Amino acid sequence: MLRRFEVHRATSVEEAVDLRVRYGDDAAVYAGGTELLLAMKLGIARWAHLIDVKPIRELSRVAVARDTVRIGATVTHWDLERHPDVTRVLPALARLEASVANVRVRAAGTLAGNIAFAEPHADPPALLVALGARVVARGRRGERTLPLEEFVTGMYQTALGGDEILTAVEVPVPAPDARAAYVKFQVLERPSVGVAIVAKVNGASFAGPPAVVVGAVDELPRRVDTAALAGASLADARVADALAASARAAVSPVADLAGSEEYKRHLVGVFARRALTALAAG
Amino acid sequence: MRQISLRLNGVARTVEIEDQVLLVELVRSLGLTGTKVSCDTEVCGACTVLLDGRPVSACTTLALEADGRSVLTIEGLAKANQLHPLQQAFIDNFAFQCGFCTPGMILAAKALLDERPSPTAEEVRRWMEGNICRCTGYQSIVDAVLDAAGRRP
Amino acid sequence: MPAREDGDPVERTRFRVAGTEARRADGVAKVTGAARFTVDLSVPGMAHAVMVRSTRAHARILGIEREAAERMPGVLAVLAGADLVAAGLHPYYGHVVLDHPALAVGSVRYHGEPVALVVAETKLQAAEAADLVEVRYEDLPAVIDADEALRPGAPILHHERGQRVGDEGMDQGEGALEGNVCAIARVQWGDVDAAFAKAHLVVEGEYRYPMLYGYAMEPYNALAFFDQGDLVVYSTAQHVYMVRRDLARMFDLPLARVRVSAPYVGGGYGTKSYTKIEGACAMAAHLTGRAVKLDLSVEEAMLTTRSDSSHIRCRSAFDRDGLLLAREFDIVLNSGAYTDNSPLVNSKTANRCFGPYRIPSLRVVSRSVFTNTVPASSLRGFGAPQGNIGGELQMDEAAEKLGIDPVELRLRNLAGPGEAILPGKRPLDADLREDLRCLVASLEWPGTGGVSVGFGVSASDAGAYPTSTAAVRIHADDSATLFTGSTELGQGSRTVLCQIVAEELGLSLERVAIVGGDTGVVPYERTTGASRTTTVTGRAVQEACRDARRRVRELAAQNEKVDVAAVEDAPAGVRVKDRERSYGEVIEGWFGAGGEVLGHGSVRRGEGFAQMPPFWEIGCSGVRLSVDRETGVARVEKLVTVGDVGFAINPALVHGQDLGAATMGMGAALREELVYEGEQLVNPNVVDYRVPRFSDQPPEIDLMLAERHDGAGPFGAKGAGEGAGNTIGSSVAAAIGRAIGVFPHELPATPERVWRLLRERDERARR
Repeated sequence: MLRRFEVHRATSVEEAVDLRVRYGDDAAVYAGGTELLLAMKLGIARWAHLIDVKPIRELSRVAVARDTVRIGATVTHWDLERHPDVTRVLPALARLEASVANVRVRAAGTLAGNIAFAEPHADPPALLVALGARVVARGRRGERTLPLEEFVTGMYQTALGGDEILTAVEVPVPAPDARAAYVKFQVLERPSVGVAIVAKVNGASFAGPPAVVVGAVDELPRRVDTAALAGASLADARVADALAASARAAVSPVADLAGSEEYKRHLVGVFARRALTALAAG
Repeated sequence: MRQISLRLNGVARTVEIEDQVLLVELVRSLGLTGTKVSCDTEVCGACTVLLDGRPVSACTTLALEADGRSVLTIEGLAKANQLHPLQQAFIDNFAFQCGFCTPGMILAAKALLDERPSPTAEEVRRWMEGNICRCTGYQSIVDAVLDAAGRRP
Repeated sequence: MPAREDGDPVERTRFRVAGTEARRADGVAKVTGAARFTVDLSVPGMAHAVMVRSTRAHARILGIEREAAERMPGVLAVLAGADLVAAGLHPYYGHVVLDHPALAVGSVRYHGEPVALVVAETKLQAAEAADLVEVRYEDLPAVIDADEALRPGAPILHHERGQRVGDEGMDQGEGALEGNVCAIARVQWGDVDAAFAKAHLVVEGEYRYPMLYGYAMEPYNALAFFDQGDLVVYSTAQHVYMVRRDLARMFDLPLARVRVSAPYVGGGYGTKSYTKIEGACAMAAHLTGRAVKLDLSVEEAMLTTRSDSSHIRCRSAFDRDGLLLAREFDIVLNSGAYTDNSPLVNSKTANRCFGPYRIPSLRVVSRSVFTNTVPASSLRGFGAPQGNIGGELQMDEAAEKLGIDPVELRLRNLAGPGEAILPGKRPLDADLREDLRCLVASLEWPGTGGVSVGFGVSASDAGAYPTSTAAVRIHADDSATLFTGSTELGQGSRTVLCQIVAEELGLSLERVAIVGGDTGVVPYERTTGASRTTTVTGRAVQEACRDARRRVRELAAQNEKVDVAAVEDAPAGVRVKDRERSYGEVIEGWFGAGGEVLGHGSVRRGEGFAQMPPFWEIGCSGVRLSVDRETGVARVEKLVTVGDVGFAINPALVHGQDLGAATMGMGAALREELVYEGEQLVNPNVVDYRVPRFSDQPPEIDLMLAERHDGAGPFGAKGAGEGAGNTIGSSVAAAIGRAIGVFPHELPATPERVWRLLRERDERARR
C-alpha cells in the first residue's frame, strides 16, 4: 500500500519547475499517476513529494497548427483516442491510443507521462519516433525541444533535467501521401513487440525509405535500417523479407515472462511483415 | 490534511483526507463498500468507479483527484430502489456468481453505454477487456450488457 | 445464451421450482453493492494487521529486530511465531498434518512466508511499522524443483513431521514418508509388466501441468475478536467448520466456543478450502485484546496458496484393435513448503489420471513432494487436470499411431453406466459414451479448414464425504427458513438450496429464506467443495424438509385428534379429514398463537451414499482451435461442454459452472503459470500472471446438459462445477497437436512453447 507523501498542485510550469528544484530527488512529477502510483504502491519507488501538473491549464490542450500537432503534457490517452483533430490528422496514433492498456488507464493516463516514465513495454514510443515526434521540456534555463529518440535514454531513463518539466509532445503532421501503421504482439498486460511504420507511398511503392521503428522489445525503441527499401514495391515479397531481416537485426530483445530473446527476435520479423501488410491495406 | 469537496453519488460531500489516501479508501471509509479492491494494480477493474463519467481504477486514483468533481459508485446507480437497466440485466442473464467483480463490471458497462448506447458484442468485449471475472467465463456479461442496451428507452 | 436444454421435458414438468432458471437469491445484493463480503466488515475498535514476510527461501531465523517498529505511532504489537508459543498457543494448523505455522517458528521454508505480524490502529501505521522490522537469517540450502527434492542429498524441509490429524480421514501413504515426500498414493491391479510385454503398441511420454494461482478476486482476509472468551472469526473460508476445528485446536477451546462465519465469499474454486490466515489473525486478537482485521493483497494471497504442479511419466499399452491392456503412471507433484491439502490432491491425482476406461492392468504411483515454494493446496477439480494431461493426451497419441479415430478409440475403451472403474467404488453413474457422441457432434469432429478439434472425458471420484446436516423452520405464515453450513461462493448454493426447499414444501421461492455459513448458527456442514453442495447438502435439505413435514403431520393429528397415519401431505400443508390445512393453520392450531416447526436433516455414509464417491463428477468437453503458425498463438474458436449432471435444478447456474470451469481450464491450458526464477516467484501479481479476459472468450460456446436423473442427489441431480474444466488441458493440447503435428506435453501451451514445437518439427523435417 502507499506510504505517506505530499501532493503539491502546481498551477504554472514555473511553479512546477520551482518545486522540482526545491525537492530534487524526493519529488516526482505526477499527472495521470497510472504508472507512478503503481510503482509507489508496489514499493519499487517511493517519493515524499508529488508535483501535480494537472492544474496547469496550458498543459491540457491539443493544438493543431499547419505542420505540427502539439499535445500538452496532461492530455490523456482517452482524450487522444477521441480528439477530432487527432483522429483526422494522426489516425494511426488515435487507433494506437485506443489499444493502450485498458479503458481506465486510458481515462487517467497521459501520453506525456507514458513517455516520461520510459517503461520500455509501451505502445506510443515506437509510432511517435517513426512519426518524428519531439518532446518539449521547460526548466530554469527556458524551453528546449528534442527528438523523442534522444529524450528516451534507457529503461525508465530520460534526458529530462532535474529542473525540467515535460510540457508537450509535438508530432509533425504527416504529408498527404504518407501512411502510418502500428501492429503489436501482446500476451501479458503490456506489449512485448510493437512495430510502427510511416511511409510516403507513391502508387504501390515507397517514395523514399519508410520509417520503421520497433518498440516494447528492447530497452529503447529501435529504428530499422530501411535505406534499401526506397522506391520498392509494397507488395514485393522480397521487400517484406528484407524488412523483417533488417528489423530483427535492429533489436536486442530483452527476455522476460513474455518470451525469450530468440522468440522475441523472431516476432520482430513477423510483426515487421505485418506492419507492412497493414500499411499496404490502408 | 486536505479538505476536498465532491459530489458522491449525487450528494455534495466535503471531507478531510491525507494526500496519499486513495479514492477507493475514501469511498469505502464512507460506508460505500460496494467498490472492491482485488488486483490493486489497475488490471482487474473491481474498483472501477466513474469520475465525471469516466471509468477509473479507484485503487490507483488519489482521493484528492475527486475534488470539485462527481464520483459515481455502484451504490449510486439504482434510483429509489428501482434497479438500473444494467443491474436488472445482470440479474436476468446470470452475469455474475461470486459478485466481487460485479460493481466494477456494471460501472464499466455504464460508461460504455453512456458513450455508445447500442454497442456490438465485439465493442462490449473490447471495452470490458480490462475487467476480470473469474467465475462466469464472460459470455453472460456480454449478454447482459447487450440486453441492457436493448432495454434503454 | 448459446445453450440447449437437453432434459426430458416430461421429467422437467414433474417439478414446480426445481429445474427452473430461478433468479439468484443473492441477485439484488450483488448488483447494488449491498452484498457484504468479509473484507467489507468492520467492528468498533478494530485494529489492523500487516504481515512481514520472509525474504529467504529456506533459512533459520536468528532474530527479529522489532523495537523500531514497536516505537512507531499507533503500533499495538509486533508478533512472531515464538510469541505464540510463549503465550501457550499452538501455532500449527493443518487438516491432515499439523505442520503449517500461523507465523514461522524457528525457520522459514519459502520466500514470502509470514514471519511476523504488526498490529496497529490503522493499516497504514501497521504497514509503516512493518517496513522497520528486521529479520536476521542464517541461510539454508533450498530446493525449488520437486524432482530435485527427491534426489539423495537434497535439502530436507521437514526433519520432524508434524502430528497427523484425522480431519479429512485420509492416509498419506503406507509406511514411513522419507525425505521430502509429503504423501504417496498407489493404485494397482493386474499384471502390468506382462501386459506391456505383449502389447501391440506402447505409447510413452512425460507430461507437465503447471503451478497455478486460482485468483479468487477477494483476497484472503479475516476479522477476529473474542466475545466473553469465545473466539469469533469472520473469514473468506469455504469450509467454516474445518477452520473452526483448526482454531479450536490452536486455542484449546471447545468447538462450541469458536464461531467461524463466512458471509459472501468473493470466489473460492477450492483456493479458500481449509485454514489460511485465520489462525494468525485470531492470535493477534488474543494477544492484543482487540478486534483485528488482516486483509491480504493479491500478491500476498499468491504467496499463501497455489495449486500443485505435476510431472507425469506414463505409458499405455494397447492391442491391435485399440483396446487398452495396461497403463502405468509415475507422478510427482510439487506441493510446496507445507502439507495442507496436498495428500488429498495426490490421492485424487492417482485416482483420476488413468481415465474412465476399462483397464485390465494398472499401476499408479503418485508422490507429493515438499519444496521451498508457496504451499500448494486445492484448486478446482484438483488431481484431475494434473493427471489428465498425461492420461487423456496419450489416448490421442495412441489413436494416431494406431490409425484409429480417437473418438472410436475412446468409445471402445470407455466404461459404461454401472461399470466399476475403481474397485470397491460406486459404479459409474453416467453414460460417457453418449456424452462423448454429443460432444464431438457439436465440435464437428474431425475439424475443417485451419480449425482443429480436441476433446476429452474424465470421471472424478468426487471428494465429497457425505456428512451434512440442515435445518428448516416452517413459520406460522407458510414461509420457511433454511439453515445450512454451506458457503455461498458464487456457485449459487443459496439459490439451488432454496429451490429444493420450495419444491419439497410446495412453497413459492419468495417464501423461502436462507441463513448460511456461520458455525455459531447453522447446523454442521463438512465442507463446501468437491461439487458436493447440490448433491449432498441438497439431500440433507430434502431430509430436513421431510422431517418438518412429518412434524406438521404430527401436530395436525393432535389438532384433529386422529391417528397420524390419517394425515397426508398436501402440496403446501396437510390433508386431514378430507380437508387441506396449510402449515400455518396446523402450527397456529397446535400452539394456539404463533409458533413454528423445526425439521432437521442428516446425511452420512450409508443410505443413498453407502458407496463412495457419492457421485462421479463427469468431465466431457472440448475445443475447436486455430494456431497462428508464425507466432504460436493458439486461439479457441469454439468451446463445447457436456454437463452430465443427472438433473439441473437450475440450468442457468449449471451453465455458469460449466463455462466458468472450462474458462479456468483454458487459462491453465494456454497462459497461466506461476514461474520461479531462482528461489523467488517472479510473477506474484495479476499484471504478469495472466488470467482469461473478455478477449479470450471463444466466439462460439455450446453448453450442453445431459440429464438422465442418474445422480444420488435431489431429483436425480449430481455435482457440477469442476468437470467441464478437468479435460480442457488435454483437449487444448490435443487440438494444438492436430494443428501443428506435434502434441504439446507441457502446459500452458504458451505462444513461445507452440512456436518452439513448430520449429523443432520443421527442423526434424529438414534433416
